[in-house]
Amino acid sequence: MTSDKQEKIDEQLRPLYAELQKYGQTQDWDRALKTTRKILGISSNEKKATQSKIICLMQLDKFDEAYGTMTKNANDTADLFFERAYCEYRLNRIEDAYNTLKSIERDLSEREQELLAQVLFKLEKYNECVDYYRSLVKNNADEYQSTRQANFIAALATWKLTDPSCNVQLESN
Amino acid sequence: LPPPFKPIPCKPVLFDLALNHLTLPSLDDKVQTKRQATTALTDKGQQQQQAGLTS
Repeated sequence: MTSDKQEKIDEQLRPLYAELQKYGQTQDWDRALKTTRKILGISSNEKKATQSKIICLMQLDKFDEAYGTMTKNANDTADLFFERAYCEYRLNRIEDAYNTLKSIERDLSEREQELLAQVLFKLEKYNECVDYYRSLVKNNADEYQSTRQANFIAALATWKLTDPSCNVQLESN
Repeated sequence: LPPPFKPIPCKPVLFDLALNHLTLPSLDDKVQTKRQATTALTDKGQQQQQAGLTS
């Protein structure tokens, strides 16, 4: 495709992307999804639109469809580790979610650590789970901190409940 | 006769925090024309400079 032609398409897509950005900010995922479909109708190889579509589907609880879209567009979605792992987590493919997160070769971002902690809880690896929550609670200060603290305590308590070798003193935490 | 009820510990609830981190990718590059993108970049640079001065 000539760059001239591409520029024309970009010009055509610009208002649609602006619309998508707006719906993303207002969390209007139904309309955002429709907009991604419009964009992909004009040009099917729009990486950002494909990625946005997957996120809209996930926000609308359509994890099966989101996962299918990722599989169909493997090239454009290769770097969506968090999204892939979260779909697997919600589709109850916990082992797959674990493997997806473990396949990341760089240091995990905060949201990937948060998801990994939840995956470890489901896998009943409370020992590791507690370690992640300990560091997440320490290094975070967002609005969800109290919920994170609750998760930390849940992991600690379940660990203590299920593993006799756990020597955590709940009082000291 | 059924055996008497016995209290047992329940598994604590774990809240899903990861979903809060699910956001659209940055679409700034798609929304702005090339010229706007460069001015936005310089604006940002100036802001950062100002922030650097005040902090």
